[in-house]
Amino acid sequence: MASSISLTRVESGKPLTSALRIVPGVLLLAGIGYAGKTLEHSVNAYAKAHHWTFPNIEYVLWAILIGLVISNTLAIPKIFQPGIATYEFWLKLGIVLLGARFVLADVLKLGGISLGLVVIEITLSLALMTLLGRLFKLKPKLTSLLAIGSSVCGVSAIIAAKGAIDADDEDSSFAIAAILALGALSLFTFPAIAHGLHMNDVSYGLWAGLGVDNTAEATAAGALYSDAAGKVAVLAKTTRNAMIGFVVLAYALYWAGRGQAEAVTNKAAFLWKKFPKFVLGFLLMSLLVGFHAFSKGQVASLGNLSKWAFLLTFAGVGLRTNIRDMSKQGLRPFIVGTLGEILIACLTLGLVVTANRIWGL
Amino acid sequence: MSSDTSATTPSSNGNSLSLDAWALIVAFLLALAVRFDIFKNIPW
Repeated sequence: MASSISLTRVESGKPLTSALRIVPGVLLLAGIGYAGKTLEHSVNAYAKAHHWTFPNIEYVLWAILIGLVISNTLAIPKIFQPGIATYEFWLKLGIVLLGARFVLADVLKLGGISLGLVVIEITLSLALMTLLGRLFKLKPKLTSLLAIGSSVCGVSAIIAAKGAIDADDEDSSFAIAAILALGALSLFTFPAIAHGLHMNDVSYGLWAGLGVDNTAEATAAGALYSDAAGKVAVLAKTTRNAMIGFVVLAYALYWAGRGQAEAVTNKAAFLWKKFPKFVLGFLLMSLLVGFHAFSKGQVASLGNLSKWAFLLTFAGVGLRTNIRDMSKQGLRPFIVGTLGEILIACLTLGLVVTANRIWGL
Repeated sequence: MSSDTSATTPSSNGNSLSLDAWALIVAFLLALAVRFDIFKNIPW
């Protein structure tokens, strides 16, 4: 999707040239993000001054909406593309820095609960998507990709699995389009449902982290509810991301066993290769704060840096969502994805509600 | 479609090290700058 903002590789060419190439796009992300932040304040101030009853629209939503409008109405010049592609870097940078805002005990407690829920969620999601794929007679490898994308971590998981199970480009494109389209929908549906159910920040954050597939969308869906929910959503989603290697390895072994993918010779090396290393940075940052390596003011500064990094990510989420391109993708994979995601959302909501009753989140 | 794939290209084929490594390096350089008060009181 998003052919109009084709996101090209950032690291090609000489280092200085590559660095210069990303500047226009990064400035665009920053501009959109800052406009979102300014709009939040100015619209709220204007509504208050004129005694209007107006919902508080957070900067997250403004940044996404501005990005969406731009990417769906204008042809973004190529000069911006390399910089727009850096949104994932800002996401990972934001997650590592967010570690500073977590007390290690919270990471262990919530991370432990998340891990338990993630294992259940992954098992049930894989089974469900496989079943739906068979019911709708999707190609087996497309079903595998959809199952991996919806159970673990969206686009990254699909791309990681594509090479491992030797899936073709078309299947990967279908799966990625379905996951991204559903991720975009979840940005609006998850907070609305949670408000309707009066969920608390921790419960909602866990639900967003477990139920929304792509990390950027899960982070945004969490932050749309509240700052605290955004933090928990990132923690739950990061726990889910950490499982990517195990799931992809299982699928690689399955397809290799059928002679339709290369055999995995060194499983430990495979797991390490697929492991998202930024998760370790998140934990290390939390550990450093736990050992009082930073003063209270410095922790606040690190937290704010994390928010700035996320601001650029949210602008990128809007910019890469192209509704026209999504509609061009096949209908059946989309139906399977939608059905699966609705069921997974209900399932994860049930898991979180149960966990809330047991542990009082 | 290739556009989105390339958006996460550093993660493709499981080679997520480059993007992750950059995120880690920049994050800890920023943390060092904050720790030694090169960057102070970063606002939001």
